[in-house]
Amino acid sequence: MNEPIPAIEAIDLVKTYRGKEGEVDAVRGVSLSVSPGEIFGFLGPNGAGKSTTVRMLTTLLTITSGTARVAGVDVAADPHGARRRIGVALQDAGLDLRQSGRELLVLQSRLFGMTAAEAATRAQELLELVELTEAGDRRIQGYSGGMKRRLDLASALVHRPDVLFLDEPTTGLDPASRIVIWDEVRRINAEGTTVFLTTQYLEEADQLCGRLAIIDGGRIVREGTPQALKDELAARLGDGAEPTLDDVFLDATGRTRERVAGQVQEVQA
Amino acid sequence: MNQTMILARRALREGLRQPDALLPTLFIPLFFLVVNVGQAAKIFPSSGTPFLLGQNYAAFQLPTSLLTAASFGTAALYLVEEIEGGYFDKLRATPIPRASIVLGRLLAEIPKSAIMSTAMILIALPFGVRIRAGIGGYLLIVVLLATWATVFSGFMQLIAMKTRSAAATNSGSLIFFPLLFLTPNFVPRDQLSRPMEIAATLNPVTYIMEAARSLILEGYDWAAIGRGFLVAGLAGVLMLTLSVRAVNRYD
Repeated sequence: MNEPIPAIEAIDLVKTYRGKEGEVDAVRGVSLSVSPGEIFGFLGPNGAGKSTTVRMLTTLLTITSGTARVAGVDVAADPHGARRRIGVALQDAGLDLRQSGRELLVLQSRLFGMTAAEAATRAQELLELVELTEAGDRRIQGYSGGMKRRLDLASALVHRPDVLFLDEPTTGLDPASRIVIWDEVRRINAEGTTVFLTTQYLEEADQLCGRLAIIDGGRIVREGTPQALKDELAARLGDGAEPTLDDVFLDATGRTRERVAGQVQEVQA
Repeated sequence: MNQTMILARRALREGLRQPDALLPTLFIPLFFLVVNVGQAAKIFPSSGTPFLLGQNYAAFQLPTSLLTAASFGTAALYLVEEIEGGYFDKLRATPIPRASIVLGRLLAEIPKSAIMSTAMILIALPFGVRIRAGIGGYLLIVVLLATWATVFSGFMQLIAMKTRSAAATNSGSLIFFPLLFLTPNFVPRDQLSRPMEIAATLNPVTYIMEAARSLILEGYDWAAIGRGFLVAGLAGVLMLTLSVRAVNRYD
């Protein structure tokens, strides 16, 4: 039997920025494979290379070296083809605040090639999906943070993408709004969309992701199911304790609770 | 092209929803017109000033104000806001030619500029200003100024894409002021001091101003009109080439 084409496949992805102060390696050889229908978590501390990796996979950044395919399409060789297969909701919901939610979704649909009538129908469907029907004709400027995130999510879905990239979709949201976004992500995934999710919240990764990778210093340092990663750490420590995903993260990134606490104190001072 | 039109309509809608951003583009040029005419009209009475060709000094000054109105580059300010807010990336992630993102905004500058030029001319009419070339001349002025507005906005958009900073883009609009003052904006070019005449001759804005002025004061001086459109056209080609390159290379 043939192996299914991976939803996402990256081989030795490298991103090097050239600036006045020389070269900076933001991503140093990331390889990963995500199967169709997965929710894949991509974790890492600030500046680890999460967003840079996502931006390369979504055609927003050029790739210094390595290859990436999304839904079987090479993102560097056929960026337009890749863009038709992916949905993107980046950090800081990128919205045009002067438009209404409905206008934004109609515009996004038109840019994906729909007619005016098709775009209007799709906008209505999506407003219902993310429960923004009542607010749909109001300017986005007046939306709460949670509403903006839901609208951003909806705008990434206009063309029914095979793969959805969510870059820290719940950062800055209150707990209730976060749970709403989690439910949306599960619902979208249940309809067959592969989800690639970056997050700094380990609880979020534990709740949502079937498999995850931890990136640090531009390299993947752990990969597996949340349970397998916890089991591996438990076996290695051998002290009978049950590690949490926080422990796995701290172990993988070489950080300790004491050091992280110290960093927080330094920031507060 | 279809996507460019869709984005142009959005940019127009955006302009209509932010009328407070348009008001300075009308008020400041009018302020220049009133102040410049108020300061120099007595020095240049229409009866004793041959270069006015029988009109008053406000008619001579009107092109300066029209050029000021066409040189605010508000499209670039909206663009940099979208770059900073992340919506620019959202648009870049759609399967449209990336050039459409900047061209859509530039296309929307044409009707905006036409409305501003028309408003300025209508305001000038009660003060005795007439367009000697008539309705055809008015239309040529509107087209010329709209071309210039698009070119200027395009260069401002380049600054926006290069710097990705609202503050830097805003400062970029100040470039226009030296360009505006190194022109024959108070007297014709042949009456400027030699260094100023050389500077004005090298300044592309001079030819736009002289073309508009010839339509207002003289009628159809095709040499002046041709130079104005040629300069605007060449600047437009340069701006479009650089803009398409910049947005395609945006990383």
